Amino acid sequence: MKNKTAVNTRKKVDHGIQKYLLTGVAATSVAIIFLIILFIFIESTEAISAIGPWEFISGTEWRPFNGSFGAFPIILGTILTTIGALIFAVPLGITSAIFLSEIASERTRNILKPVCEVFAGIPSIVYGFFGLMVIVPFIFNTFPNLAPAGFSWLAASILLGIMALPTIVSVSDDAMRSVPKSHREASVALGATHWETTRKVVIPAAFSGISAAVMLGMGRAIGETMAVVMVAGNAPNIPEPMWNVFEMIRTITSTLAKEVGEVTGLHLSALFLLALVLMAMLLLTNLTANLIMRNTKRKFETGQGMIEKHLPDNVKNVINMAKRPVMLSMAFVVVMMMASLFTDIIVSTLIAFACILFISTMPFISKRIRSLNRQRIAHLAMSASMIVVCAILFILIADITVKGIPALSWEFLTDVPRDMGRAGGILPAIVGTVQLIIGTALIALPLGILTGIYLAEFAKDNRFTKIVRSSIDILNGTPSIVFGLFGFALFVHYLGIGRTLIGGCIVLAFLILPVIIRTTEETVKAVPQELREASAAMGATKWETTAKVIVPAAMGGVVTGVILSLGRAAGETAPIMFVAAVGIKRHIEFSLFDTIMALPYYLYYLTEVPNSEEVRYGVALVLLMIVLSMFAIASMVRHHYSKKVRW
Amino acid sequence: MVKIYENNNDGNVITIDSLNLWYGENQALIDVSMPVMKNKITALIGPSGCGKSTLIRCMNRMNDLVNGCRIEGSMKFRGDEIYEPGADVISLRKRIGMIFQKPNPFPMTIRDNITYGPKIHGVVENDELDEIVERSLKQAVLWEEVKDRLDKPAFSLSGGQQQRLCIARTLSINPEVILMDEPTSALDPIATAKIEDLAIELQKEYTVVIVTHNMQQAARISDNTGFMYLGKMIEFDETEKIFNKPSDELTERYITGRFG
Repeated sequence: MKNKTAVNTRKKVDHGIQKYLLTGVAATSVAIIFLIILFIFIESTEAISAIGPWEFISGTEWRPFNGSFGAFPIILGTILTTIGALIFAVPLGITSAIFLSEIASERTRNILKPVCEVFAGIPSIVYGFFGLMVIVPFIFNTFPNLAPAGFSWLAASILLGIMALPTIVSVSDDAMRSVPKSHREASVALGATHWETTRKVVIPAAFSGISAAVMLGMGRAIGETMAVVMVAGNAPNIPEPMWNVFEMIRTITSTLAKEVGEVTGLHLSALFLLALVLMAMLLLTNLTANLIMRNTKRKFETGQGMIEKHLPDNVKNVINMAKRPVMLSMAFVVVMMMASLFTDIIVSTLIAFACILFISTMPFISKRIRSLNRQRIAHLAMSASMIVVCAILFILIADITVKGIPALSWEFLTDVPRDMGRAGGILPAIVGTVQLIIGTALIALPLGILTGIYLAEFAKDNRFTKIVRSSIDILNGTPSIVFGLFGFALFVHYLGIGRTLIGGCIVLAFLILPVIIRTTEETVKAVPQELREASAAMGATKWETTAKVIVPAAMGGVVTGVILSLGRAAGETAPIMFVAAVGIKRHIEFSLFDTIMALPYYLYYLTEVPNSEEVRYGVALVLLMIVLSMFAIASMVRHHYSKKVRW
Repeated sequence: MVKIYENNNDGNVITIDSLNLWYGENQALIDVSMPVMKNKITALIGPSGCGKSTLIRCMNRMNDLVNGCRIEGSMKFRGDEIYEPGADVISLRKRIGMIFQKPNPFPMTIRDNITYGPKIHGVVENDELDEIVERSLKQAVLWEEVKDRLDKPAFSLSGGQQQRLCIARTLSINPEVILMDEPTSALDPIATAKIEDLAIELQKEYTVVIVTHNMQQAARISDNTGFMYLGKMIEFDETEKIFNKPSDELTERYITGRFG
């Protein structure tokens, strides 16, 4: 009898854990995204009523100190830099992915794939620094008359493109790899070459995955802050002419980074409204992307898209006939616009004509080439673009390493900054970053891991779960600067405690929460069903099974994910710049309610201190080494657990 | 042990002589010799892992896709060495089509599945493509079932229909030989019967090689049968002989179900 009561109590406790604890933890994600949107909305109401939403979006003059808040040039700047980044990154990224997935040997792939992941994890401030020190001077030296300072739309787009590349390559590669071997065999058996198979079977079958990759890259470009702010020049003007890629440009995120924290009143409220516009733009992109993805998938499988289905045949024929001429004339206009930046209108028209002639004769030329030679040319092109990607990434690492090493010394690592950061060391910044990581981990780990376990093991297929999942998705797609804005609104503006370590930890924890939840959920779900059944068959409750069998089995994956996301937190600048970090501190604090120095923000601060190049490179190198060592530790952990757990 | 079917040499579409194949260190085919005769169905039987699938995949060089695969010996298609350096693999595969174990239609419409091959090989006119679609589907006895839904996804068909679609896809480029690698192993008995009837029908115009683990199937439809064991061709002869009075004891034990 006594035993039976014990069992019953145990079951009751278990039931309570499941029902209240886990559900409550899972609900925090919903609360967080709700709070973020709420705070940003409340803060922006003043601007909405004083300026008016339409006047805000359509006004062409952003002069806050004269009271004119026209955000159009800034919104346009965000759109233009993103388009530029995609033009740069999509062709290069997809062709490199084709190389990786279809052409590269297993050995090459095993090297390049992790390299892509490492580069996706390098902090944006380091990319921005690379842009500032390498890309901007390069543009200035190449086009001294067109881009008088080098800071330009072009620089921002190239840099954003580089940052989006690793994601695009890695995710597209996964998509192409998951196309079943049987599709390839069927195509090859029909006498198609390897290249024809890639082009006509593998790419169409992987299309929705490839577009998802592009969308991920695009989301990153729209929401990116630190890299853009350092290279775009940040003049709130509409380029003249509008396609002039050499003009300075200003995006929503860079406006937020430059102005929040220094202003109050209506101006501050207008900035929050700008953040709201940014969120709306991201939402819109995601919705459109989903629609496009579903449509292409449908088109590939059923031969017609959602709109085409409702069109009469003759309209379809007209569209089909017009497709090519329309595309060609669009290409003509684009080439002419670009050429007109360099030369007069007649020459650029001629250049455009030549290009169109070349493009339109391509199909005829390519038909005359034997299919195997076509394959050779294509494979050569794909390999070349992979080489370009690798070269860019290599230059980034090499530049920072070579110029950073002279700065490193014992003094550099153990002294406080002197002479505004031009001399001395970076100890307070290292300590601050470590404090941030520890605090972030203490908040994010319990929340994230428990939510992940809840979603994988206990969540029912109901509305609550759906809301939790979409909250996590939204949280995951929210730009880091928005987290910073939220922290500013909550801690500095509303609570009035100013910049604090604790505020930084909370904001960073919110930022990495979705990543931890996802990795935990995925690894827990990957634990084979048999283990659950074996444990349940011995009379264990669900909670016991989870705690004693499932979680230990999933530990390797969870720990790896946690380390990687903490690495990300260590490199983030935008979320802490208004909430926790200050440029220079000459002593080390251990109070939760004091400001801190942090490595990424210190690097940003130094870029505005003249003659501090050597220290800048030193800080960038230290930051890079921290992130790289996080990756190394993560892969060691993965290796360690892969030996222990096997199924 | 190995008896090569020598007579009627001119009727041989494919002639294999002392073929050896290695996957890395493993030798998967040992000294295999056999003919494939024109307008006949040739069956390859034997227990799992005996090399019959490997052998059939040699005939249109599908093993090229496998890393570390090495081949020695002679395999001639209409008198030309298939594995000669510089041999035209593309046109070889165009002339020797292949049907796989599991139906593997492309994730496209039924029509696009059929037009894929002809388009690759340069057919562009829509009328011609329509003709090919109709002819191939009729030959594969699928036309009546799908003619009203050519623009539906191929995945909407049943397994048996999908396999016939794959046959139609192969027929679309007019091959001379059709290789079938256990084409019915993923299908139910009714769909299997349809594929078998189809194979017999195709034999009039094409040469068929079929790998099967189902001895009754080999007995029912094939003209010649090769029995393989552990990478070796144990016996190759007319199907009737193999099944009624095999000359090798191993063959007899396999046929009568005493091992395998």
